[in-house]
Formats: sequence, structure tokens, C-alpha cells
Amino acid sequence: MPVWLREHSWRQSLTAVYLSLPLRGARASAANIFCSEQYLKVSIPPFLFEAVLYAPIDDTNSTAKIGNGNIFFTLYKKEPAMWDSLTLTNADKEKLQHLRENAVIKAQEKAKEETEAKKITKQEHKKYALEATMKLEETERKRIEDLKEKERQKVTKELELWKNQQKDGDKYKSIQTKEELHQEIEPLKERKNEKMNKTQIPNEGSSKRRFKSTRGCHGSCSIFSQDLMEEQLPAPRAAATIKVNFTPRVFPTALRESRVAEEEEWLHKQAEARRIINSDLSELEDLKEEEKNPDWLKDKGNKMFAMGDYLGAVNAYNLAVRLNNKLPLLYLNRAACHLKLRNLHKAIEDSSKALELLTPPVPDNENARVKAHVRRGTAFCQLELYTEGLQDYEAALKIDPKNKIIEKDAEKIRQLIQGTVQSS
Amino acid sequence: MSAVLGPERPQVVSHVQQALSYTVFDCKWVPRSARLMCLGSAARGTGVIQLYELHGARLEVLREIEKPKPIKCGTFGATSLQQRYLATGDFDGNLNIWNLEAPEIPVYSVKGHKEIINSIDGVGGLGIGEGAPEIVTGSRDGTVKVWDPRQNDTPVANMEPVQGESKRDCWTVAFGNAYNQEERVVCAGYDNGDIKLFDLKTMSLRWETNIKNGVCSVEFDRKDINMNKLVATSLEGKFHVFDMRTQHPTKGFASVSEKAQKSTIWQVRHLPQNRDIFMTSGGSGSLHLWKYEYPAQRSKKDSEGSEMGVAGSLSLLQNVTLSTQPISSLDWSPDKKGLCVCGAFDQTVRVLIVTKLNKI
Repeated sequence: MPVWLREHSWRQSLTAVYLSLPLRGARASAANIFCSEQYLKVSIPPFLFEAVLYAPIDDTNSTAKIGNGNIFFTLYKKEPAMWDSLTLTNADKEKLQHLRENAVIKAQEKAKEETEAKKITKQEHKKYALEATMKLEETERKRIEDLKEKERQKVTKELELWKNQQKDGDKYKSIQTKEELHQEIEPLKERKNEKMNKTQIPNEGSSKRRFKSTRGCHGSCSIFSQDLMEEQLPAPRAAATIKVNFTPRVFPTALRESRVAEEEEWLHKQAEARRIINSDLSELEDLKEEEKNPDWLKDKGNKMFAMGDYLGAVNAYNLAVRLNNKLPLLYLNRAACHLKLRNLHKAIEDSSKALELLTPPVPDNENARVKAHVRRGTAFCQLELYTEGLQDYEAALKIDPKNKIIEKDAEKIRQLIQGTVQSS
Repeated sequence: MSAVLGPERPQVVSHVQQALSYTVFDCKWVPRSARLMCLGSAARGTGVIQLYELHGARLEVLREIEKPKPIKCGTFGATSLQQRYLATGDFDGNLNIWNLEAPEIPVYSVKGHKEIINSIDGVGGLGIGEGAPEIVTGSRDGTVKVWDPRQNDTPVANMEPVQGESKRDCWTVAFGNAYNQEERVVCAGYDNGDIKLFDLKTMSLRWETNIKNGVCSVEFDRKDINMNKLVATSLEGKFHVFDMRTQHPTKGFASVSEKAQKSTIWQVRHLPQNRDIFMTSGGSGSLHLWKYEYPAQRSKKDSEGSEMGVAGSLSLLQNVTLSTQPISSLDWSPDKKGLCVCGAFDQTVRVLIVTKLNKI
């Protein structure tokens, strides 16, 4: 039951109502006050104050001041009129209830509207900010573009100028040199004769200088200068050959640093393979080409196993392993042969080797691993090492839990172990 | 590596772009003019030589010449300024020198190699340097041959693999050290990373090294001076700058290397007006402009007292991406500073202007 706060006091003017509500020690905050057009409620549990107002007020502009253990409301009336009392006294319970509900609904709607309005303004602000940044970036980009354009135009102009200069320069020079050459013909002739007797190098220097000054002209050089130039040139070199040794490289492609590691690996593997084949060359000489292929040998072994020739199968697998000792299936199948031949230790070795090669354990080699575990387990059991055997069977079960045969065998072994434990 | 900052950096401005109907392998400025040559291979399998003139913002075709075999490379390096004959190497191993006024019959022709001539260079012409005009060609058949246009049929120097040795493709050749009549040096880069320096005066191998990646392009900073710097670019985005002034008896030449981009660096070209600035073009369609700074001391003495060189440092002045395909050829204009032409495998040739090179 709430404790009603009834010691409020109020006074009014034509446009406003001033309500003072002492709080009896409770602390109030804005959340405790609920106000709508015709309904005012202050709820600070366990205290409660509510008032259905005499006439509607403008609740957006009305204020509440919290302080000094007191809430002071300033409520602006919608219609300026003097109220007979603060609340509607002659209202019945239903009407009051109705009014209360309305008030709540209205308040909710208002809250919704406010949030909507806020959202819209926020979006507009964002849009505005975005447009402003875009404009800034545009101006920046334009500025850079303009700079570049200016450069380009400047440079184009210069180029045109230069080209025209060249053309004019040529015409001018050609006129000039024609005159110069007429003057120079006589001394040139003399020099030519001198040159015959003197060594080439010092004269070259002097005549070279003259040519540099007439370098600009294209088609109007005299014959004399050309002759002199030709005579200046040394005879063609005496032909000779230089022998070259290259840094050795196996691959015909160009050398790239990033590929060097790969290439090394490839060469290494090739060397490895060749070594294996060549090491037993004497024994393998009488074998046919296909008999040197580990896969073909594996198939042969499988066939012999199926026919019951276990020793032959083992031989085939042995040879295959010598050629390529990285195929797990060879060891796996050889383990099966050894089991049949009751070479239990060898069977264990081979299954272990197969398992080693079958890392990493992936769904692809599940099958093979199950078989390896089962074969090793069988070998252990036949050696009466039941605990190890059980371990392998359990490993097999872990990989393939749905296999009933393995389960049954595992059970059997467990019972055997328990039997021996009990009996011992 | 320092960088020149801000608005003082040279800008690479694309002046003209011209779409071609053939694959362009080489482009060269015609000396003393605003004309350029494009050499390449048409889809029909024939060679194309096109002569363009720069008119304002356009390239105008002046002449188009078709030859039976696709043309890989060309140079004006060994002709006189008056004649301006073009020497080309084609896919069949033929070296031809053409007079562009009368291109039906070559002025000089020889079947120099058994396989494609990958690279060609000329020295002794254009009024630059001294000595006989010579052309060097490097081919996929592993040989590098030096030709004199006055001597028919046989090369004046032949750098070939030892008998029985398997050959490596020669990808690039360059002349250098031609500061007087006798001295001449040829540098060749091969696909297995070998760089070999042949001295033509003594007809011997002067230096060799291996830069661990196939060598795409070598160039001396100037052909006609005492050899100063050599830039060698390679696959995998690396290039090396060798200081060629001091040769150590065992360590060879000092070098600095830079890895600019992830793709092959197809070409390096030094600015004719400033030998410390060069441009590299890459397989990703980008161009990088570099400046080499000399160290405080270019040589120092090592522990045994022999001189060894000290390499300087490189700074990237500018880079720009023009195309999605490799830019396989690049040439600076010897007449206008900053004007260059580049040809790319997207069948376009572009004329570019690099600004503010005076301020470097």
C-alpha cells in the first residue's frame, strides 16, 4: 500500500498553477515524476502523489523543480481561467481511471514522437556532415588537378617553343655556315695535307672543335667536313673472339631469387630418386621396367596375398619399399602378410611404420589407420600382450566407432584381461 | 633513402598517348629532331618501323615501313648526325642498318645470330665520343657480337660460350668507357644473372659477377667517358648501381642495390643531360625516377692496401603508374631535357615530360 502524500499546497494565477509538494524525506528525481495534460503523478516508493487536474495544462512547457525536500511544480494552463480547485473533486472512480489510462497512453505517444523527431534530426545532421566533407574533398582534388593542368600546359608551351626554335635555328645556322664554310675552305685544305704527315690524335682535337660548332646543321654540311671525318675514323678492329663461361644453371629458365628454394628442393628430390634407383643397379638390371614401379609391385603383392602366396607378397612389398619408402600402404599390406605368416614382431613393426607415415590423421586416411591399429592389436594379442592389444583396438574404435567387429573383439580382449587379472 | 618532398619534386606529365596497331618493342628519338621511331611486330608476324613527328598534342605518322621479320630493338648510336641511319636487330638474328629516306634496301645487312637479337647498342656516332662506329648485339644464342658497319659479314669481336658449355640467353648489352679511340668496353647481362664486362682493347673479360636474378637491362651513365657508373636492372624488382671507377682485384666493383617494386624492371635509361638521374620502367606499368648521390669518398683502402670503391646512395624522386602492362622501352630525348618516350605492351606509345629537372 503506497503512502499517499497529501500535504501539498498550491496557488494559482490566471495562466499558471504553482504546486508545492513536500517529500517527507524521500529523494526525488526526474524519473519519478509523470505528467500529462490533465494528470500529474509523483511516485517515490513507498510514497505516492497523484492529481487529476481540474483543467488541462500545457505539459511540455510546465516545469518541476526538485530541491530542499520539496518539489515545486509550475504548470502552465492551456486556457487561462481560474480553477476552483487543483483536482477534479466530483469525478467518479471510473472517470478517474479512464483519465489515468489516457494520460499514460498520451505520454507514451509523446515519447515515441520525440524519439522519431530526434532520429530524423540526427540523420539530417549526418547527411549535412557528409556533404560538407565531400565538398571539401572535391575542392582538394580540383586544386591538385588544376596544378597538374597548369604544369601540363606550361610544359606543352615550352615544347612548342623549343620545336620552333629548332626549326628557326636550323635555317639561321644553315645560312651562317654556308658563309663560314666558304671562308674556311682554304685553311681546311691545308690542314688536310698536314694531317697526312702528323699523327692523328692532336689534330683530331682541333678539327673536332670546329665540327662541334657546325653541329647544328643537317643538310648543308660541305663535302670537305665529311671527308675529314671519314679519314679521322680508325680502321675496323682486328677480329677476335672472347670465350665466355657462364655461371652454371640446370634450368633453361631465367634465374629468379624467389624461385631458388623451390628449384633446390626439386633438384634434391630428383637426386634422391636417381640415387635409389642407381644404388642397387646390379640387382635390378634383370628386372623389367614395370617391375621397378612401386605401385605395380604393390598391386602384384596384393594379388599374391589374395591367392595365399604370403611369402611372395612379402617379397614384392620388400622391393617396393626399397624403391619408395614413403608409401604407408606398402607397410600396411606387408603387416597383414606377416600376420598370416605369424611373424608377429615384424607385423607390429610394419603397422607402426605405416601409422607413422599416416600422419596427419585426417578423414582421408581413416580407413588405413583403422586397419593399421587392428593389425597391430591382433599381433599384440597373439603375443599375449593383451593390454597393448586393447589399446590399439580402442584406438581403432575411436577412429571408427561404428565397426561392430572391432567392438566385439575389443570386448573379448577386455574379458580376457579381466579373466587373467582375476585368476592371477 | 631520402626523398625530395613537396612541390619541388619533378612531375611526370603525360603529354601524348598514341595507340598502335602492333606490339611495340622499342622506341627511340631521332637525334636532333622532334621525331621518334617505334619498332615492333605486327600481328601478321612482320616487322614494323614507324616514324612519328610530335605536333602539339599529337603524334603524326610520317612514315610506316614494313619488314619481313619482326623487329626487336634499334639504335641510332653508331651513325653520324648527317646520315642518321637506324640499326635494327630482328627476331631472326639479322642486323640491318637502314637509311630511312630509302628503306627498301638496307645499307648494311648481316645474319649475325642464330636466334633473336634481344638487345643492340651503338657507339662512335652522333658526334659523341671518339673512335670507330661500332654496333654490339646480344642474342638468345648466348653470343655477344660487335660489328663495324664498314666490315661486312664478320664481327670485329665475338663473345661466345666455351665449346661444349650450355648457352644462356643474353638479354642486354651496352657500350661504355669509349673516351678515346682505343678504349671500349661492352657490358652484357644474361638470363642467369651474369653480368660480364668485356674490354675490347685487350679483347678479354675484365670483370664478371652474378646478381642472382636474370639481368633485364644494363646501361653506363655515359658511353663516352671513363666508365663512371653502371646500372643493371633485373627480375624481381631489383636493380644495382655499380661504381665503376675503382676495381678491386677480388671484390670487383662496389654497388648499391634497390628493390623498387615487386615486378621485373624492364629498362633503365640515364638522362642525357645529367648522368646522375635515371629512370627505371617496371613490369607493373610504372616509371621510377632516381637520383644517385655520390659518397663522401669514392674509394677507400681495404685491409691489404688495395683500393676498393665505395657505393653511394639512391633517392627516389618520383614514381608514376601509366599502364597496366609492362613498359618495355624507354628513351630520353637528347635535345630537350625531360622529354622522353616510352612504349608499353598495351600497344601504346607515350610521350612524357618530366618537369623541374633543373632544380635537382
